[in-house]
Amino acid sequence: MKQVSLTVNGEAVTAAVEPRTHLADFLRSDLGLTGTHLGCEQGVCGACTVMIDGKPMRSCITYAVACDGSEVRTIEGFDGDPLMGRLREAFSTHHGLQCGFCTPGMLITSRDIAGRLDGPDEARIRLELSGNLCRCTGYVGIVEAVKSVLAEGRTVPADIAVKPRRAAGPATFERRSDGAPSKPSPAPQQAELATRATDRKNWTVLAESFDVPHSPDDVWALMQDVPDVAGCMPGAEVVEFDGRRLRGRVRVKFGPISAAFEGEGTVDSDAAAKQGTISGEGADRRSNSRAKGLVTYRLVPEQGGRATRVEVQVEFQLTGMLAQFSRSGLVKDFAHRLTADFARNLSLRLSGEGGSALPAGETKEVNAIALIFSVLWRRLKSLLKG
Amino acid sequence: MKPVAFDYERAGNLEEAVALLRRADAGAKLVSGGQSLGPMLNLRLVRPELLIDVRRLQSLRRVEESDDRILFGAALTHAEFEDGEVPDPTGGLMRHVAGGIAYRAVRNRGTIGGSLAHADPAADWLSALTAVDAAVQVRSQAGERVICLSDFVLGAFTTALAEDEMIEAVAVPRLSAASAWGYHKICRKAGEFADAIGAVVVDPERRYCRVVMGAVDGPPVLLEEMAEALAAGGAEAGLAKLDAAVEVALPEAAPAARQLHAVAVRRAIGQVYGR
Repeated sequence: MKQVSLTVNGEAVTAAVEPRTHLADFLRSDLGLTGTHLGCEQGVCGACTVMIDGKPMRSCITYAVACDGSEVRTIEGFDGDPLMGRLREAFSTHHGLQCGFCTPGMLITSRDIAGRLDGPDEARIRLELSGNLCRCTGYVGIVEAVKSVLAEGRTVPADIAVKPRRAAGPATFERRSDGAPSKPSPAPQQAELATRATDRKNWTVLAESFDVPHSPDDVWALMQDVPDVAGCMPGAEVVEFDGRRLRGRVRVKFGPISAAFEGEGTVDSDAAAKQGTISGEGADRRSNSRAKGLVTYRLVPEQGGRATRVEVQVEFQLTGMLAQFSRSGLVKDFAHRLTADFARNLSLRLSGEGGSALPAGETKEVNAIALIFSVLWRRLKSLLKG
Repeated sequence: MKPVAFDYERAGNLEEAVALLRRADAGAKLVSGGQSLGPMLNLRLVRPELLIDVRRLQSLRRVEESDDRILFGAALTHAEFEDGEVPDPTGGLMRHVAGGIAYRAVRNRGTIGGSLAHADPAADWLSALTAVDAAVQVRSQAGERVICLSDFVLGAFTTALAEDEMIEAVAVPRLSAASAWGYHKICRKAGEFADAIGAVVVDPERRYCRVVMGAVDGPPVLLEEMAEALAAGGAEAGLAKLDAAVEVALPEAAPAARQLHAVAVRRAIGQVYGR
């Protein structure tokens, strides 16, 4: 618990709070100020908007402990405020509310619009209100209410200047060679491994391939050491392996998100065709998330058998807490980077240069990726295992 | 949802912040506005042991002007840029970009340094400041260093920052009077994560030209050939290279996504050349 002292609606408040308690919960539960509403609790819906130090802010993604010394004003603190009084009246007149859940946040945002902007048009009003969601009104009444208050006239601070555009555009010139450092963005190779029709709905499918300067036989032989190959995957570790079944762990770090998946898998390989599959599933106990995956791999001779292309297809599904991270493109990008790290480490290992204690590399953890990796990893291991 | 329990320390100064960061190892997260971290905490995607609050450090709120650039403290808020409370070395680009970040209530608390450190590819500052060739000044107990934004982001949410490093300031070069910029963001709803960003800066006096394709899955992409063509031959010459450049940069993207990115860049170029 941390001690905080702040001002709420003009009154000094001192309290002990848990650092994880956000301001909205503190206002509602500790102070009984239930006019501040909680909708999404992730900063999207705007129902929890309150004034902090004179500016509207989200009280659900602002922690009470961070408000020590701040001045907070909730909807309850606007009783005698003339502008808020006019807005309240206008919301009533123009049917700017039905269930009323969004209304405290709407009013606080509307008051900010009326006080800060100089004669905004309707498009601007709607833009400014876009951070407050209402599921009843269709916004028509709310926008009308704000417009009617603005129409009554009011002095406002200068609006944001819009940059004047030149009609002709800048002159042409020869660019300085250091004007932009060339940063080749390595295009990830698309594996040619045929994507099998899958009955796994809502699974993510990734295909990657990389070349190593060794014959398929050598690569296949080296890949028989499953734990060793697994060690090439940043954050991965095989705990047990009996030749077919394996148990292992994958720790992933994706920016601020980290997870440690523990799981089991099965390696099935076809030494003659130099291909195989690894299937498995694992769980991250901390986040109560689960991952299922299937890795298909194949070694293809290159340069007349002197080199090998390793093709890997990873299919995975993430469920639980981490699956809330819905931006699949970013997860894919992470998986690509992780695979690139793996390929680099594996290539080094195959060249006899890699130690077994590999650093985590540049790739940081991800949730979904963690799963992918655990799967991929196992597959690779199984691959290696043959 | 409520976050998992974490400890919280408000750093009294920069030295204290980096010392806490160092001591806490990987379990600590710096927080300033917390407008990106907060949702991730509430969703329990992020479970730090310690939050180190640097929002009120005066040294992170400084503005230092020199002849060729302005150094902005990392904890300046988006709204402060939007409202013109700090000078703009980019002829209005920064002010324009700041005003389009999320929602006003978020801009009032979220910070420029926090946004860069979070390294969400869809973030506005990342693309816009890469387009002007800004750099971050980074500090740890071991000392300071400067990282160009074009080298700063390694992937989504992944930066060149070491675990014990923090962004102290952002150095933004001054565009010359003859420069022009364009910035176009495509998102499904105002304030949502961007689907595509085009950011273009043309500065004949400094012989500088950069075209950035942002809000891709990884770091912002510099379209170098296009920038060269744009500088040497103007809008038509640059645009002639657009579709091919997008295809090379995003080989795996769906055609619709490629189209979105191309449109964002095209519209940004259109702004530069006044159409």
